[in-house]
Amino acid sequence: MDVPAISTEGLTRRFGELVAVHDVNLRVAPGQFFGFLGPNGAGKSTTIKMLTGLLAPTAGRIHILGLDLIAKPLEVKRQIGVVPEGMALFGRLTGSEYLNFVGRMYGLDRETAAKRTAELLEFMQLADQPKKLVTDYSHGMQKKLALAAAVIHGPKILFLDEPFEAVDAIASGTLKAMLQRMIARGATIFLTSHVLEIVERLCSHVAIIHRGQLVAQGSLEELRAGVEAQAATGVPAVAAEGATQSGREKLTLEQIFLRTVGDLRRADQELSWLG
Amino acid sequence: MAWLIFAPEARGQFAAIARIRWQLFVNSLQTVRGRVELASRIFMGLFIALAGVGGAIGFGGAAWFFISQDEAGWLSILLWSVFLFWQLFPLMATAFTENLDSSNFLRFPLGYPSYFLVRLVYGSLDPATALGSLWLLGITIGIGFADPRLLIWAALVLLAFAIVNLLLARMIFAWVERWLAQRRAREIIGVLFFLFILSFQLIGPLMNRYGEKPRPGVVRVSRELSPAQRLLPPGLAAEAIARMSHGQVSAGLGFFAVLCPYGAAILWLLNLRLRAQYQGENLSEAVGYIASRKENQALRLGWSVLGFPGPIAATFEKELRYLSRSGPMLFTLITPVFWLLIIRLSGKGGNFLARAPDLAFPVGGAYALLLLTNLVYNNFGADGGGIQFFFASPVRFRKIVLAKNLAHVAAFGLETVLVWLAVCMMYRPPAVDVTIATLAGILFAAPANLALGNLLSIYSPKKLDWGTFGRQRASRTTVLASFGIQFGIFGLGTVVFLLARHYGSFWLATPVFLVFSVLSFTGYALVLKRIDRMALDRRETLISELCRA
Repeated sequence: MDVPAISTEGLTRRFGELVAVHDVNLRVAPGQFFGFLGPNGAGKSTTIKMLTGLLAPTAGRIHILGLDLIAKPLEVKRQIGVVPEGMALFGRLTGSEYLNFVGRMYGLDRETAAKRTAELLEFMQLADQPKKLVTDYSHGMQKKLALAAAVIHGPKILFLDEPFEAVDAIASGTLKAMLQRMIARGATIFLTSHVLEIVERLCSHVAIIHRGQLVAQGSLEELRAGVEAQAATGVPAVAAEGATQSGREKLTLEQIFLRTVGDLRRADQELSWLG
Repeated sequence: MAWLIFAPEARGQFAAIARIRWQLFVNSLQTVRGRVELASRIFMGLFIALAGVGGAIGFGGAAWFFISQDEAGWLSILLWSVFLFWQLFPLMATAFTENLDSSNFLRFPLGYPSYFLVRLVYGSLDPATALGSLWLLGITIGIGFADPRLLIWAALVLLAFAIVNLLLARMIFAWVERWLAQRRAREIIGVLFFLFILSFQLIGPLMNRYGEKPRPGVVRVSRELSPAQRLLPPGLAAEAIARMSHGQVSAGLGFFAVLCPYGAAILWLLNLRLRAQYQGENLSEAVGYIASRKENQALRLGWSVLGFPGPIAATFEKELRYLSRSGPMLFTLITPVFWLLIIRLSGKGGNFLARAPDLAFPVGGAYALLLLTNLVYNNFGADGGGIQFFFASPVRFRKIVLAKNLAHVAAFGLETVLVWLAVCMMYRPPAVDVTIATLAGILFAAPANLALGNLLSIYSPKKLDWGTFGRQRASRTTVLASFGIQFGIFGLGTVVFLLARHYGSFWLATPVFLVFSVLSFTGYALVLKRIDRMALDRRETLISELCRA
């Protein structure tokens, strides 16, 4: 059996009294396009930070491509690319200088780093203003640059925290194509996103975290089947509604998500003064 | 004047804004930092109250004296003083001035009159307005005591003068805000401001050097300027009161009548700016230089640093690029040369270096090293969110820190050469023994500073923007530790140099410094060896502090 690309055992993170991530057991197979979902404050960013070495877990183990992240952090980091929450950019460099810098930090020689920098800037449509500092880029441009930096060394696993946020439709299409090409070549992608339509279109497997705990994990079909099975046993009004729909058409990821986190509000019963 | 009509909901909006400011203040007290801020505010408040009341008494006394002596024309000196303070202090002491970010209000249904009033009122809650108003009140009372018949007229004129000051200060801020909206303009103005502050330091030495003989030209120019100042608000206000005190009612009214259009013109300019803001002007960065396709395709190789691996060379290049793009930081590097110049200009036997010019190089070098602590004691301050990259990259922290230190040493080496050249030109070429002893001293002091700076950078980080001035201070822990460290290192260096001088040979200092330097190099190596563990242990604090918005 293949060594999982990402696996965690009992991953836990506490901030004082608050348990942000509790006993999470993740398993992502190589080559999967994996979506990590959850409501705001559920523990997505905390988990991704722990998986990329930006945050120490309070308890539990993390293995990336079979390597223990705590024991062999540098070996792991050489094989992964990361776009963290804050994008980790150096504002007072130009885009070209930044990519060159990142390439060489990942061990590329000067020529390779320069060549890939030029290609990536062209690909991301950032090559037109070579003297512009990163701090003067728009948010979308910064996001594209951060993505370019994450892939410059050809990582085997890519961790992306909200990669499509503030990216225009054209760039978004380019990025999706690039990510799918990486998947086709055997890379693994682990992304968090609030845009469930994008996750549904791109990801083959999904995990949902809620209040720090993993509440669902599997392929989209497995998750759908699980939710439908729950609905069939009957319970709340929302579940019944989902079940009725499932009889006619497949549940969308949004419906699966809302059913799983179990927090769908009845808008018609609240805020009656609205519009 | 339709724009002066307030919307019906304006009252509730003013109350909401006042409440949110109060709530922000109360919430800030939940943190230790907020409580420390409150303590410093109370201290500042007491200081302002003291300066306000003391100044009011002083200005009032002077006004009483001028009117009593029938020298009302001298009032212009008082009013010019108040005017210059009111307009210049807020620009020079932005740290004491809390500016309201008005852009947040634009999304609410706030009518333009309300917006205008909010900007005017909340923007004016600053020490300059408080002090200026108190001082004008003092002057009014002083005039009233000297000549009770003048009290109402003086109160009216000085009220108009206060309004002009208030509007002008807001108008200047609104326009400066417009100019500073773009990064490049901010940096240029930052450098100009720095030069302006530095040039102040030249006044003393220049006065000392050239101010002994009376200058007929200066006297002539000041005489010719006197009628001109009467055409400006402080002169107009002073003349309006002076003429009235001499019984020249129509002349007094005339000067007052000229003062009012100033207020109207300033109001118009302020309105122009605020209306543009209210209408949602776009202040984004201008589109930069667009390169030709050929230029885009040219590959730019990164730097190669002889004997060092790629990641160290890349970080070294990144550090020097950062430094080269930071006007303020570059200017701190030339400060030692400037400082030597100031001392040279004022040195007529009265200062230490005039009596001991052989120590100019060691003193200049020590000052250069002292300024380097700006860089060294907060290694990651300018990286901001980039710190996350260092933790995510497959490079040991010790290599990153070593590369940063190499960049610091390169900058310091260049600075030392500049200081040496400056000493050669301003004093005399340093003797060989002094030069060697100074370099040996640097071999001791630099690694010690780098080692301690690396520790402080990990344990007490603070996000900084190297491109801007003001409101940027190192953490209090760093400041305190830095003070103690410099006291120890420079104290030791000074003792060694003075002893060597006392025994008549600077060669004696060199071996002593070399022994010390073995210790400081060992300390540096130990810190570097342990820095990976320390950085990992402190990564959450580092990331959260440096990624702060």
